[in-house]
Amino acid sequence: MNSVARQKNIKTLAAKNAKGATGKICFTLYAAKGLFLLCGRLLTLFLVFTIPAQAHHVLGRPAYSLNEDSNTPPSMQVETQIGNYFVTYMVFPAFPKAGERGRVNLYATRIDNGAAYNGEVQFKVRDDVLFGDDNSETLGSQLPDDNVYRQGFVFSNDGDYIITAEFTDGGEPYIIDFPLRIGSPASVGPIGIAVGVIVLILVGVNLVQRRRLLPAKLRNAHEEMSGR
Amino acid sequence: MTMTHPGLPEYWGMIIMVFISLAVLWVLFSPTPATVRTSVFSLARIPVIGNGIRAITANRWLLLSLKFVMVGFFLLIIFAGLFGTPIPERNMATVLTWNLWWSGLVFSVFFLGSAWCAVCPLDAISQWLVRRKLWRRAHPDNSLNLKVPRWMANVWPALFMFIALTWLELGVGITINPYATAAVSLLMVVLATASLAIFQRKAFCRYFCPVGRTVGFYSQLSPIELRPIDNDVCASCKTLDCYHGTEEVEPCPTWLVMGRLKQNSYCTSCGNCTQSCPHENIAWRFRPPSVEALHSGRPHWDESWFMIGLLALTGFHGLTMMPFWEVWMSQLAQTIGDSGRLLWSFTIGLVSCLAVIAAIYALLVEATRKLTGTQLEFRRLFATFAFIALPLAFAYHMAHNLNHLIRESVGLGEVFMNPFGTGTVPLSMMEKHERHITMWMSQDVLFAIQAGLMIFGFWIAIQVIRHRGAAVLVNDDRLAGAKLLPMLVFATGITGFHLWLLMQPMIMRM
Repeated sequence: MNSVARQKNIKTLAAKNAKGATGKICFTLYAAKGLFLLCGRLLTLFLVFTIPAQAHHVLGRPAYSLNEDSNTPPSMQVETQIGNYFVTYMVFPAFPKAGERGRVNLYATRIDNGAAYNGEVQFKVRDDVLFGDDNSETLGSQLPDDNVYRQGFVFSNDGDYIITAEFTDGGEPYIIDFPLRIGSPASVGPIGIAVGVIVLILVGVNLVQRRRLLPAKLRNAHEEMSGR
Repeated sequence: MTMTHPGLPEYWGMIIMVFISLAVLWVLFSPTPATVRTSVFSLARIPVIGNGIRAITANRWLLLSLKFVMVGFFLLIIFAGLFGTPIPERNMATVLTWNLWWSGLVFSVFFLGSAWCAVCPLDAISQWLVRRKLWRRAHPDNSLNLKVPRWMANVWPALFMFIALTWLELGVGITINPYATAAVSLLMVVLATASLAIFQRKAFCRYFCPVGRTVGFYSQLSPIELRPIDNDVCASCKTLDCYHGTEEVEPCPTWLVMGRLKQNSYCTSCGNCTQSCPHENIAWRFRPPSVEALHSGRPHWDESWFMIGLLALTGFHGLTMMPFWEVWMSQLAQTIGDSGRLLWSFTIGLVSCLAVIAAIYALLVEATRKLTGTQLEFRRLFATFAFIALPLAFAYHMAHNLNHLIRESVGLGEVFMNPFGTGTVPLSMMEKHERHITMWMSQDVLFAIQAGLMIFGFWIAIQVIRHRGAAVLVNDDRLAGAKLLPMLVFATGITGFHLWLLMQPMIMRM
């Protein structure tokens, strides 16, 4: 019996017995069986169509890799998308230092058909600060070499920077930011903030408590004085 | 090339499906149970070693030593995260936090209940900073001791914190960022300290901590509990030292009275009650793991939402690993003009997942209400059946985490030797491959355990349906089980979804 026929059967039975208590029980029973079989089929479908899945959504996050088959140093890579383009950004070496030559590689392919972007890409850089001036500098403009945009850099100071890649397609501007860490910037910031906030809380609580407890202390002192 | 962990083989999937089918048929055509038989076994009553176990439980030095060890590791994680290599698989902050602790935590609940909370470094550090005592009872004036506002005195804050943690974990990707891992750890210390300094007792543990509440709710399914040895002793107790504390020992941090304790949800296993009880009447005991979910756990509106949220979020972890997830995210990002980390798209996906699971559950609860003809209001029924979510979430959580724990904690020794990852390079493909085939246990055993966990979760879920349903049904008739069909559909559908997720290959996290 196919599912449509079964559903009709359930409906007919339900209609026949709708008025009586027995009818309700029968309806429940058949509905239960029908739904149970439906669930079973859905489960089977789930298992039959077990497509290999990719895990851990990684777009936009830096990842580090090492290719032992070549002489290239470890690289840092970020994959992301903007508008109609899927963009891959790689930094060589993965951990560039101040005064050391480094390189950014960028690939941009259309999401819909995989065609590589072949116009000009401009690279800019600015400090990665939460609050501050947008003192960005242009690193250079590049044309593709075998679909890859290569931009060299040398930084004189350690720090966290943002590399901005800008290009235009179909009259629309595309601007996308990527992180770049030069050297090992001082990491005391979070500890300093945490310690500062904790000290502030503890001192604040202490002051409030002193103020709250002062009347009680004074009252006790008065009582002791009068008791004497 | 991407390294993937193989999913559960199809034959295991079929075995689980057969079990599910038989179990559903059994529930549909068997009468609902009238009573619950519960047997417990107090560890204190074991001959010879019973007294030893009691002494260890009440020993504050042992607990204090463990706290010192945990705080040491915690500080090491913060420093490694901030000052060590950004390569996640070489830095102790990410490896220890996410590969070992976060993956293994759920298993500690399975065996030891909420024992983690007893040695939690967040609690220890905030306690030492605010109370300024290592273990003795501190002067109460060290804190403002404000009452937690009524609107915050529930587990909604913990649920929102857990959602935020999931957002950070899967959306921002702190699991592969040592610096962010350390920063979030510091943030948690600040929050715990602020809460302890402002509110009465340990409001952070009871209402706000996403880890503590997750551990607490899962520990309702733990086979051990801290309870009175003799209930009559508690019934005749006039001092309630467990609740009020003594001159030396702090009171229960989460406002529990041992004599009335029925569920593990808020017990932090801190041992204050065992130390303060003048009758030495508190001890650990074994029990059936389902006892709270079946009947002891009291249904509450906020707690039911936490349990449903837990279920949705555990499934969401798996959902983000499906092939069409990235396609959805990509299409959504194009539609709304999102770029970079696609955080807006991710946030919409996360909220949608939570909303869909909650909506499906709510609809099926309403269907159950109609089918059973119960006079119970919707909210009450929603809270009553939410205990179904607990074993389903717990089982999938463990089965999923087992992959991370067994397959991804292989390089732990190297990280302990070089916690900051100084001078290291990323894992080469050969090393990844080596780690991939080197596991803590054989793959077949891993699959068998995963399958067993799925069966365990579903079995307890249907027991919850039967027992909680028995209290809801108006007339106890022959087809009582069939009237609970919507809830069975929920448990079966969620288990099927989880099973399908488990059968997918999974990319290595690091």
